Amino acid sequence: MNQVALIQRGLARRYRSEKRFKAYGLTAIVSGVTFLVFLLGTTFLNGYTALLQTYIAVDVTILDSDFDGGLSQESLSKSDYPGIIKRSLREAFPEVTKRKEKSELYRLISSGAQYDLREKVIDNPELVGQTTTFWLLADDEVDVYMKGRIDPAVPEKNRRLKNRSIAWIEQLRDQGRIERNFNILFFTNGDSREPEQAGILGAVMGSVFTILVTMLLAFPIGVAAAIYLQEFARKNRFTDLIEVNINNLAAVPSIIFGLLGLAIFLNFFHMPRSIPLVGGMVLALMTLPTIIISSRAALGAVPPSIREAALGVGASPVQTVLHHVLPLAMPGMLTGTIIGLAQALGETAPLLVIGMVAFIVDIPGSPMDPGTALPVQIYLWADSPERAFVERTSAAIMVLLLFLIAINGLIVLLRKKFERRW
Amino acid sequence: MNQTALEFSKPTERNISDDPLNDPNYKTVGEVTVPNAAMTTKNVDVHYGDKQAIFNVSLDVGRNEVLAMIGPSGCGKSTFIRCLNRMNDTIDICRIKGDIRLDGEDIYSRNMDVVLLRARVGMVFQKPNPFPKSVYDNVAYGVNLHGLSNNKSELDDIVEDALKRAGLWDEVSDRLNQPGTGLSGGQQQRLCIARAIAISPEIILMDEPCSALDPIATAKIEELIDELSQRYSICIVTHSMQQAARVSQRTAYFHLGKLIEVGATDIIFTNPSHRLTEGYITGRFG
Repeated sequence: MNQVALIQRGLARRYRSEKRFKAYGLTAIVSGVTFLVFLLGTTFLNGYTALLQTYIAVDVTILDSDFDGGLSQESLSKSDYPGIIKRSLREAFPEVTKRKEKSELYRLISSGAQYDLREKVIDNPELVGQTTTFWLLADDEVDVYMKGRIDPAVPEKNRRLKNRSIAWIEQLRDQGRIERNFNILFFTNGDSREPEQAGILGAVMGSVFTILVTMLLAFPIGVAAAIYLQEFARKNRFTDLIEVNINNLAAVPSIIFGLLGLAIFLNFFHMPRSIPLVGGMVLALMTLPTIIISSRAALGAVPPSIREAALGVGASPVQTVLHHVLPLAMPGMLTGTIIGLAQALGETAPLLVIGMVAFIVDIPGSPMDPGTALPVQIYLWADSPERAFVERTSAAIMVLLLFLIAINGLIVLLRKKFERRW
Repeated sequence: MNQTALEFSKPTERNISDDPLNDPNYKTVGEVTVPNAAMTTKNVDVHYGDKQAIFNVSLDVGRNEVLAMIGPSGCGKSTFIRCLNRMNDTIDICRIKGDIRLDGEDIYSRNMDVVLLRARVGMVFQKPNPFPKSVYDNVAYGVNLHGLSNNKSELDDIVEDALKRAGLWDEVSDRLNQPGTGLSGGQQQRLCIARAIAISPEIILMDEPCSALDPIATAKIEELIDELSQRYSICIVTHSMQQAARVSQRTAYFHLGKLIEVGATDIIFTNPSHRLTEGYITGRFG
């Protein structure tokens, strides 16, 4: 057999293996994309309904006699608003007389509606003595029913929303007195035990402060450490030891960092529990190895000719690094920072350990206020029994993803700014 | 690499060690010193870790002279030239012994500031390595670094002058703000030369400046070296013997870390004294 024939015989096999290899790659990508679409799809389908919230129109009659002390600010704020709402509901459904039925009727309206009503009356005392139609926040069970997630065919004893309530809701629907509006509360409230009042803002602010602290600590420290180790430190056994340890730290489970934070920041330095400052510090510790490793790789990828060029015209080592090496390595460093921060943003375990899992209704206004973070909020809601928390959990996941995209977008922009060819 | 080179011998009347590679006390053939030298080196040894790269080299660089260093790959000529502005400092495992003086000052003494040294001894590298900045900024960088200009117009003048002397001005005057990395290879190398001469060094070291360039670009650089030698002392490492013959006044031949022979270029190339030099320039090895 001559050489050409030999090669040709082999060629067919080579092309076949090439095709096979391509098919493997394609399969991997397609399955990856499928899983991603499935994940995002189910999250979105579960979560988008959280953007809407059911409100019930109730004719609320506010009597002068509701206010003992006249229309002073104090008596306006102290009045029995739940009583007013209950009375108005009784007036709307005069046929309801039994005690048990009444309490079921009251449950159509969220317990949070009274605060809304109080605010409106305080803002506008002229409402006293009048009958006004208010759109009051509906209870989460009503909301879930309105979103079609409660099947009336299910035996009554197996659902929290009873047939009587469903009848009332249908009656209200016929009257046009029940409708769904944009759920602004979800974006302006902190956490709550009542799903219809629970909002994501507390967790968002907690995450913002936490990540801010993480970024402000981890990026400069990580970059400085990488520059020192890569550009200035002499290679000896000690720096080798440091390098090995940094690589090992990158693989340490995050909960260990949480326990470290608990032991050092909380127990030794007696810093307050549950605050984003400590959370950010713990996550910074966790993120540092990632940033240092990728920053060192980025520095190492800068061609030595650039260093020689700078040293050759008489730049000092620090000037060489700051003027030439660092700008060229910056895109790679920022990539490492993205990875590190994305990891930190999604991290739950270390935050649980330092107490950022506490039920906190107030929205943190600074890194020193107790707060929680988005992944912890997702964990808390996913753990809650109420049906309405299901959609909120998914919505919170979407918010977390948006948050992540926002951070990545910011860093990609920075990358673009620093990217230069040589 | 060149056992064959050792096999032929050349009858000589001078006292030349027959086996310079194994002779620890080998003495360079020819006159290594020059009167009123810009830079003097005496008994320089360089080690990379356990491996010795330069053996007892003494060689002076004369004023306004072009000194070519030739020799086969790995002979230590690049290592030697990099000792002259302490570029080898950046290599952790590199140790240098011996005495290297610039205008009588020991450049390895504690009093010598390495930044100042490199401003006085400029360097052009084998691969053109402009900064990823504009043409203008490439040349202006060193000037700004050392604070050699007082204002923008003075800086403009220095940049223009350096680019003119590097023979690049006509080609780049209309694109000073475009990246220096966008120029052709030959232009980039001349840009690097402009960058080096913008800070008015006393000596320019060139480490195979034309090895990455085509013949036309090489011719331009060689022309430039000729002109620059009016004002500067130049050390050039080259693989091309024609180039050494064309541009230099003195030539030093290195072999396996030893300086075998130094002499006036025309004599080295027409009548070398040492059989290794002769072997190299006649192309028997290298």
